[in-house]
Amino acid sequence: MQLGKLVERLLQLVPVLLGVSTIVFLMMALTPGDPVEIMIGDQPITPAEELTLRQDLGLDKPIGERFVVFLENAVTGDFGMSLFHRRPVFDVIVERLPATIELSLVALIIALVTSIPLGVMAAIKKNTIIDRFATIGSLLGVSLPGFWFGILLLMLFAVQLRLLPVSGRIGFDSEVAPITHFLLVDTLLRGRLDAFWDALSHILLPAITLGLPMTAILTRVTRTSMLEVLRQDYVAFAEAKGLSRRRILFRHALKNALIPTVSVAALETGSLLGGNMIVETVFGWPGLGRLVVESIFVRNYPLVQAAVLFYAVTYVLVNFVADLLYTLLNPRVKL
Amino acid sequence: MTVADDAAAPAMAADQGKSLFKRNLENFAENRLALASAVLVLIFVLMAIFAPWIAPHDPNETDLFRRLQPPGWMPGGEWSYLLGCDGLGRDILSRIIYGSRISIFIGTAVILVATTIGIVAGLAAGYLRGWVDIAISRLVDILLGFPYLIFAIGLMAMMGPGLFNIILALAYKEWVIPCRVVRGETLAVRELEYVEAARAIGASRFHIMLREIMPNILSPVIVVSTIRMADVIILEASLSFLGLGVQPPTASWGSMVADGRAFILEAWWVSTFPGLAILLLVLVINVASQGLRDAFDPRFNE
Amino acid sequence: MGNFQRLLITTAVALVLPTASLSASEIRVGFTADALTLDPANHRNRETETIIRNMYDGLLTRDPDMKVVPEIAESWTQTSPTAFEFKIRKGIKFHDGSDLTVEDVKFTLDRLTVEGAMGDGQTSPRKSLLGPVKDIEIVGDDTIRINLNEPWPLLPAMLPFQEFVSKAFVEKVGTTGMATAENGVGPFKLVEWRKGDSIIMERFDDYYGGSPDIAPVGKACVDRAIFKVIPETASRVAALLAGDVDIINGLPPFSIAQVEQNPNTAVMTVNGTRSVFLALNLHGDKFDDIKVRQAVAHALDKQLIIDKILGGNAVSIEGILSPAAFASTPDLPKHEYDAEKAKALLAEAGFPDGIDITIDAEGADKDTVEAIASVLAKSGIRAKVAVGESAQIDAKWDPKNDKNDGDMYFTSWGNGSLDPFDIFVPTHYTMGRGNASGYSNKEVDSLLDQGAIELDPAKRASFYQKAEAIVNADLPYIYLWVPKDIYGVSKRLKGWKPSADSRINLHDACVE
Repeated sequence: MQLGKLVERLLQLVPVLLGVSTIVFLMMALTPGDPVEIMIGDQPITPAEELTLRQDLGLDKPIGERFVVFLENAVTGDFGMSLFHRRPVFDVIVERLPATIELSLVALIIALVTSIPLGVMAAIKKNTIIDRFATIGSLLGVSLPGFWFGILLLMLFAVQLRLLPVSGRIGFDSEVAPITHFLLVDTLLRGRLDAFWDALSHILLPAITLGLPMTAILTRVTRTSMLEVLRQDYVAFAEAKGLSRRRILFRHALKNALIPTVSVAALETGSLLGGNMIVETVFGWPGLGRLVVESIFVRNYPLVQAAVLFYAVTYVLVNFVADLLYTLLNPRVKL
Repeated sequence: MTVADDAAAPAMAADQGKSLFKRNLENFAENRLALASAVLVLIFVLMAIFAPWIAPHDPNETDLFRRLQPPGWMPGGEWSYLLGCDGLGRDILSRIIYGSRISIFIGTAVILVATTIGIVAGLAAGYLRGWVDIAISRLVDILLGFPYLIFAIGLMAMMGPGLFNIILALAYKEWVIPCRVVRGETLAVRELEYVEAARAIGASRFHIMLREIMPNILSPVIVVSTIRMADVIILEASLSFLGLGVQPPTASWGSMVADGRAFILEAWWVSTFPGLAILLLVLVINVASQGLRDAFDPRFNE
Repeated sequence: MGNFQRLLITTAVALVLPTASLSASEIRVGFTADALTLDPANHRNRETETIIRNMYDGLLTRDPDMKVVPEIAESWTQTSPTAFEFKIRKGIKFHDGSDLTVEDVKFTLDRLTVEGAMGDGQTSPRKSLLGPVKDIEIVGDDTIRINLNEPWPLLPAMLPFQEFVSKAFVEKVGTTGMATAENGVGPFKLVEWRKGDSIIMERFDDYYGGSPDIAPVGKACVDRAIFKVIPETASRVAALLAGDVDIINGLPPFSIAQVEQNPNTAVMTVNGTRSVFLALNLHGDKFDDIKVRQAVAHALDKQLIIDKILGGNAVSIEGILSPAAFASTPDLPKHEYDAEKAKALLAEAGFPDGIDITIDAEGADKDTVEAIASVLAKSGIRAKVAVGESAQIDAKWDPKNDKNDGDMYFTSWGNGSLDPFDIFVPTHYTMGRGNASGYSNKEVDSLLDQGAIELDPAKRASFYQKAEAIVNADLPYIYLWVPKDIYGVSKRLKGWKPSADSRINLHDACVE
């Protein structure tokens, strides 16, 4: 039964991907701006060579044909050549992926580690200082414009106080041979604690900036959900039976309270990948987000198309995992 | 749509009609923080409307000799240019006051457009079902799968900059949120008695959607829309920050932050004050709309 | 001692001891962009060239005064109007230890100029930088001859843009491999390329020494050289001030004071090679009248903007050529700032109440263009600034686009070779690639054609000078200025000067 549903959900991917590809292809096609002109700029070139360049890049063919070719190749995993890097788009994207994924995961971890205890405490000690702090904090968290906050954090901690680095993923003395390409993991695997701290200090500010809105939302969700659970009959029932309050909290209430938290976290993870672009730009983080923004501005069509497909797939998969988690945690709900 | 979809107030509210609405408003008024925030929102709106009378200087008047002048309380500053001047010598306070017009106007316009489209689409999908529902749901899934920034950048690149285009670029994706809410609500309501009754006496589908269902699902839609307003304002600021926002010399808070970021080390006030303005406006909208949500949530009406 | 204690001590030691060898000298450049590729033949990007020029050498190069001097070549002569011969130095080694021979030189040039030579039917995008090259011949065991299809005196000026690769290496890794692997003859070799983040290079100890005309000759001064990618301006300046980097490019004028006040940093400037100007839509309804164009020229207080916005770091120009370019005219007539005269000219042209125009500009130029608009307003030229995306505006002002409804466009054109051919022709020749104004003047066209093939420098110069005199009077563009390139450096840097062609060659740079 579950398998059937699984297949059905995966099949739903297809029209979504098709739709996304079509939209982005149309957008790029209808947007004025010529990647060849952008590439050459004010450097010398003869009309004959410009034509050759256009042909080499595949830009001389009509849009319809380019779209069909793109789809055919995409199915086999060939996303064409990046117009500017003159290398396969797949390679270029894969190189930049670990940075973005690592940043998103650390942001997610920070958000979960902060919001769950805070939300739970705020609910248990309702209307006390902690509760007020959590409420104000979470309202602030969703109201802060990320780009502004990120710049302020950078200027304060990196420039004024010199506590944290200005940009990049890791310092130059902390090189480790890559295994997973996640620096925090690799440095530990190689036993280089100093390099680990170095990588951590580099990722801290961007991850905090990226994870702040999510922390705020999750705190609020956890608090609300915990409050609701605490009011439930079965809690009062358990108390009447004489179970210690602590036991009630941790065995029954918490598990149920966290269901919405987990499902919202899973949903918001999709948008974490989207929110990357601004944070990566401000902090000079060498991830996919920054690459995509740059690529749009220079009309690097193949790269933008592939990146958008990647985002769409990730979003759908993340949503699916979210639904799966929800059904696992809440047995009353079916897929 | 996904299983974890979170539809707001259940259908029961529909049965009790107007008196509930009034009661909810009273709830809202009792929440003093939310009320205070709503008042502050109103003050922002008034500031936007009466900008020409409030602003001490012309926001677009450049004076290259006043370039990057510090705020009034710092050495080199003047009290008449309270928050200092930007890279072209324009008064930051005046630009912030005028900038509120952009943020509020765009925020409101986007929400209005998105909510209207969302209500229409959601009603159609939820009531008519069938292929209409499938088509709209697919479209929603596709749009949701797009990172908003790429979509906005792409659209702006396609259509060119400008106020109208920004509103479109933001509304293009924003409508899916009210659409989901409306669809969920419609699904819940369509089987209720009064809808059955309307069908029985032969009312047209349009009549049912417009006159029977819509008035009863407006509450959650309004709540969601006010919550989204804050996000839209930040989205607009982000777009302006990337250089795709309103045209100079019009001041948008987002573009003011972007303008100042290059000299944030030398003249921190150029970026900081507009950022604070965004923060403040968005914060009070959030508090007020949160209060609205709490007030309208029947679970707290016991 | 127990295992746990051992672990504790190891951890403590690891945290306390510095892990880098302190004696290694390292120079770091905070750079605006990453390299697109490591293949010298497969890109058209200035930033990429600046970075990889430290790992690859060219046949010729430019010294700090922009004079063309031999590098891999020992000497060269022009044997006929269509042939140049280059004698190749001996004893040059690639980073993998193999020797550079004339085969490699021919291979590189063929790879750059032969259609489809890059593999997969692709042609090098740098082919047109070598103009009418016909073929390459090997003469003897140390000389190559470059044959041209037609006379092209520009060849030596353009050769510094090409870098030389190893035939064996390219055949081994292919064009795809060349994008991410490096094997040049330059003073540094690649250690690691962290995409989007940095390029780490280390000294090549068997470096042949470099051009004898650029002292000092020999190995690179520092052990390691790193290009760190920091696109955000404020972050880049912050990195310099914090001592994280030793050189930064793209230092904005308003940060100069801060860098100078910091005890560890200083500012270095060099005359740029990019001419900045306002393109005027000559096919529109306002600027087809020369009086209106003259009015704009007189309405613009260039010096005020140069002083206030650019911090004085620009040279005003009255024609298209920068003062350092070949054949530039030193005393072209100026259109002095005179608001009254501007108003009078407008009235004469039929606009007694002034005109309303739009200036298209890219985001990065916003401040400058708004300043220009505010100055123009004082003469009745009410200008609205329309900031857009560069790709879009470029397309709009492309001379092939006959639906251009713009009025003015703030833009620029680079002239890295400092030869009028690269800048005068694209911007002023009928339907030239960069002819945003849509200018078409048969006399100018003819002068430019003659200048392109004239071999005698004096005669050549006179053609360009005549052409500049014409356009200075005709005003198809409002010629603005040539900004200086501003760099920030740390005081511990020695032996490095910025270069007008935006190169950052670290061969002779030392840090103390």
